[in-house]
Amino acid sequence: MEELTYLTVAYLGMIFGLAIWTWTVVNRSQNLDSRIKALEESLGLKEFDKDIITSKFSHEEE
Amino acid sequence: MRIRTGELLLITGFSGIMITLVLALKWAPSVSIDAFSAPIAQRIFYWHVPSAIAAYIAFGILFVGSALWIFKRSALGWRLHVAGAEASLACGLMAVWSGCIWGAAEWGTPWDWTDVRLNTFGLLTLLALFLVLGRQSQPDGIESRDTFSTFGFYGFVLVPISYIATRIWQIRHPGPVVGGGADGSLSSKMGDVLLIGVISFTILIIGHIIMSARITEYEQRLERLQNKLDGEI
Repeated sequence: MEELTYLTVAYLGMIFGLAIWTWTVVNRSQNLDSRIKALEESLGLKEFDKDIITSKFSHEEE
Repeated sequence: MRIRTGELLLITGFSGIMITLVLALKWAPSVSIDAFSAPIAQRIFYWHVPSAIAAYIAFGILFVGSALWIFKRSALGWRLHVAGAEASLACGLMAVWSGCIWGAAEWGTPWDWTDVRLNTFGLLTLLALFLVLGRQSQPDGIESRDTFSTFGFYGFVLVPISYIATRIWQIRHPGPVVGGGADGSLSSKMGDVLLIGVISFTILIIGHIIMSARITEYEQRLERLQNKLDGEI
């Protein structure tokens, strides 16, 4: 293979990987944010325990 | 749409690494044909080194998060563990991918099973893969968090070994380009492009870690809300 082909394959692979990773993270964040807002509004809630596991753990300690 | 710190850092980091790419291809000087058998492919270096440094930063965050979970049962610690594992995997894979392609061009083989740097870094990336896939396949609970955090905590021992490997047992991977004495000196322009790359990748990885930690927090909040909704029904 030509050296330029190696260079192109390396950078295209990394750009593709970064783009997929970033798109997935941003998309998941926006999707979860809108679902939480909808649920909180329907339940009429404002404050909520953030971590179900640590909240269970602190209740056990109490 | 509201843009928050995580998104802003991602955009800044992305812009920076794209600038690095243009500078690497158009502005950075070529290396000596005597020093490298594949001087054009050497330009992979401007993303390979910053992604490896970003992976080390992510492994550091994974270690801190794992320690906070093991010793303090901290919710923030667990979020850092999850974010650190995902970022380590992404950056580790980028460094391994680019390194393998450069190795194929320069050495004629993508991997050397006798090289300590390659193998310790490969093991670290596999550890991150295990943590990411393991968390997705197991139900969330104290036991599973303890198990994954233990791997994240003790697995960090490979980071200093990987870092010093090219200083102690240089086999095939080139020696350090920064802080490696006279042999590691870079030309001024090459050093500038590398610095822009390192800063950009660091900003990008911090943005990703903030976003991933936020996602973990959202997932936990959603689970709690759904449990409450199920209880009411």
